[in-house]
Amino acid sequence: MNYMPGTASLIEDIDKKHLVLLRDGRTLIGILRSIDQFANLVLHQTVERIHVGKKFGDIPRGIFVVRGENVVLLGEVDLDKECDQILQRVSIEEILEEQRIEQQAKQESERLKLQAVKERGLSIPKADTLDDF
Amino acid sequence: MNHSQSLDEDCTLEEEEEGQVEEEDDIDQFNDDTFGAGAVDDDWQEEHARLAELDERVRDVFAGGDASNASLPPPPGSVPHPSSLPRPSASTLPPPGLEERRGGDLAESLTRLLLGSDPAIAGVGAAEPDHSRFPPMSQAQVPLSGLPAPHPSLLSYQQHQHLLHRGGTPLPQVNSHSIWENNMGFGPVSVSPGLVTHMEDSPLMSIIKEVGLPKRPPPIRGEDGLDLSERVPPPRSSSPVIGSPPVRAVPIGTPPKQPLSHTLNQQIHCPTAVHVRAPIQHRFPPPFPERLSPNTLLNIANSPLCRPPFPAGVGPVLSQIQRAQLLNSQVGPFSRGGPAPPMLPGGGGGFRPFFSQPPPRVGHHVPPPNHNPIRHNTTHLHPQHRRMLTQRMQSRGDRGGRVGDRRSRDPYSNLMTQKEKEWVARIQMMQLQSTDPYLDDYYYQNYYEKMEKRLERDKDSIRKEPTTKLITPQVAKLEQTYRPVQFAGSLGKLTVSSVNNPRKMIDAVVTTRTDDEEKREKQVWNKRRQILYTVEKMYSLLLEVQDFEKKFLQTPEEQREALLEQHKTHTLQLYNSLKEKEWEDRVSDEQCLMIMSVRKGKRLMSRLLPFLPPPQAAAVVMGIARNLPALAKKDKHDQVLCWLVEPVAVVIQSMSSSALTDLLQELQGSEGQLPRVLQNKFGVTLLYLILSEGERMQSSDPNCQLMDDNRWTELVFSVTRELLKVPSSSLSPPLFTPPNLLSLFSRYVDRQRLELLQEKLQITALSR
Repeated sequence: MNYMPGTASLIEDIDKKHLVLLRDGRTLIGILRSIDQFANLVLHQTVERIHVGKKFGDIPRGIFVVRGENVVLLGEVDLDKECDQILQRVSIEEILEEQRIEQQAKQESERLKLQAVKERGLSIPKADTLDDF
Repeated sequence: MNHSQSLDEDCTLEEEEEGQVEEEDDIDQFNDDTFGAGAVDDDWQEEHARLAELDERVRDVFAGGDASNASLPPPPGSVPHPSSLPRPSASTLPPPGLEERRGGDLAESLTRLLLGSDPAIAGVGAAEPDHSRFPPMSQAQVPLSGLPAPHPSLLSYQQHQHLLHRGGTPLPQVNSHSIWENNMGFGPVSVSPGLVTHMEDSPLMSIIKEVGLPKRPPPIRGEDGLDLSERVPPPRSSSPVIGSPPVRAVPIGTPPKQPLSHTLNQQIHCPTAVHVRAPIQHRFPPPFPERLSPNTLLNIANSPLCRPPFPAGVGPVLSQIQRAQLLNSQVGPFSRGGPAPPMLPGGGGGFRPFFSQPPPRVGHHVPPPNHNPIRHNTTHLHPQHRRMLTQRMQSRGDRGGRVGDRRSRDPYSNLMTQKEKEWVARIQMMQLQSTDPYLDDYYYQNYYEKMEKRLERDKDSIRKEPTTKLITPQVAKLEQTYRPVQFAGSLGKLTVSSVNNPRKMIDAVVTTRTDDEEKREKQVWNKRRQILYTVEKMYSLLLEVQDFEKKFLQTPEEQREALLEQHKTHTLQLYNSLKEKEWEDRVSDEQCLMIMSVRKGKRLMSRLLPFLPPPQAAAVVMGIARNLPALAKKDKHDQVLCWLVEPVAVVIQSMSSSALTDLLQELQGSEGQLPRVLQNKFGVTLLYLILSEGERMQSSDPNCQLMDDNRWTELVFSVTRELLKVPSSSLSPPLFTPPNLLSLFSRYVDRQRLELLQEKLQITALSR
């Protein structure tokens, strides 16, 4: 039963494990402890999960206070389904390494693309003004 | 000082010896000017020493001995008895003991001190119970404590300064060191919480609190009921009746503090619910203003259902169940849509949101009662909506509630109290308060009505639930003319802006300018504006007329007559605005043209026609036909005349034959009108409609009066002639071609022409 408007619907989700996606791309998983009218969240025993390909790594972060406007979406984690995952969990160092490699590869491809475009005499404006990602 | 001056003057004239003396006196004079009277009169060093001792004692009292130094302002005149101040001992005494022992004397002296000095300045020095500072401070204290009262000279100025700087914010002093003035601000006075309770007692403390501690975080002070007169804005000369929240130290957005119920309850329930208007400068919030903060709502709603005092751990479980029971019992006496109980009047009360968490099971495996029925008196859902939700809930309630088990073992659960949750929910709910659901939530209402109707249709015999109409509590529109807050005795317009009353920035005054050149340009704009204005007015009438049906169903029997009358007047008014001044049955060309020159106007007409009674509608259509060329010209940009097709078609079909003939005549009107009509899509469509209707009349009813006079026949002849004459390029394709045109034409024209016509029309039909 959920006829609470807006943020009040989060009240039902308190003390449950949630996955929160932030605007800067981070994924946080933690137990939602407290909210307010702006949907600012207090997450307990938070873990930042980094996904690269089929692997993921967790960085324990403790208590997070997230400002509401930075949340893209959040959802409750089904504890049963969480156990059977296709993804493979790896250590933090490994995942960070993987992430770095991925970033590098992306940058490399960007560079090549830019070069190719330049060669053809075109120019792509820089996405400086774009938000996040 | 004055005496010495005069003496000087006397002296200068007489002896030279005293010249030196004079110089010194002069220097003293400068001193005087720089430092004020105290530089000459009082021995500041002496003063300081005395006060330093005093200060020590104060420090001891406040901070339990470890304190940074600060000096108190010496009083301008009266000097406390040094003998009355016992010597400070080492700073290891526990504060409460110290307080009790020295309370009386200290209180006295400090009172005198503080009262003597400028109240705006006097603050107690920064006292920090900072243990790290203890060792260095003890050194500083030793020389101080070593001073007997009448021998202050040991303390040099430099030491004094040093101490000052060591301490927190240097305090302003009135006397010789009055270079530091009021604008210093107040240093943070951090007092150990244990002392707060002791502080209640002594008058000294109350003074200090009143005068010296404004920088403390307000919530704690405010809720103890203290009057921080410093922080209150000047008295108001006028205050908006409702809307501007009362002066409060706690900003509205703060969530409730934990042990808050009784204090706030007192504050809010002292003014009884009898007062409707808050008097000016009334400190408490008016009982049920239009704008409520969640706190007030919380307290108003909670107070009749006070929670029994349970220990924290057991709290959540029992109170939830208890409350569920309470509410279940509440649900009974409330009839659906009935008046709210007096304690929760209007739209302000009644918001007690529900949380569907099953309570954590404490030990026993008692299945929690299904204590989440939807309260009938709270959220104002459409009854259909509510039914759906109950169904949904029931189906969900059958599934597991296992989660409660897990949560009971979580030591961090329920960090957010029920009160806080309610508070958040209430904020959201407040936004939903509505005085007119049809206005605020039109689509929601319509959707659920439609759904209800559909269900009715489908399950006609199965469900015998009476179709309930949504009756929402009408929150009285208390919006009065807003008068901004004005302060008494202020220069200019100071405004206090709050969440509810944003500041009025500009006083806009209308001034008219007369300038010949602009006039002409303005005229054009004015004309357009005039047209739009007329259209707007007509629209509001039209909307009233349209909403009539809905309103009719809602109003009780007695008022239906009145509503009907009202409806009739509205419709009449609508027509009146269109028609000619003198003639009842003719539409003013001017008006018509004016209105139809704007796109909005055309839309208006198309919506308007269905609501007019037949004769009037016919008149309108005649007017349109008459002015069609002009309209067509104006419509070149918009091409929206075709909106009119449908309503006009309806009107035509209900016309009498004579009227129809008239219409056709109007359409043909003056010379050369018909070709222009034919050029326009709408015109052609209209023509076809008329012809088709005529044909229908003729074919269906053999006695129809269409053929009584020759007008119809003649008109049709001329039409056919025109159709044949007009080149195909300038014949606009119609919106649709009625099928019976051919039969019409076959009556009047010979074969050859018929074929030609057929070709033409077919061409036009194909090129649609």
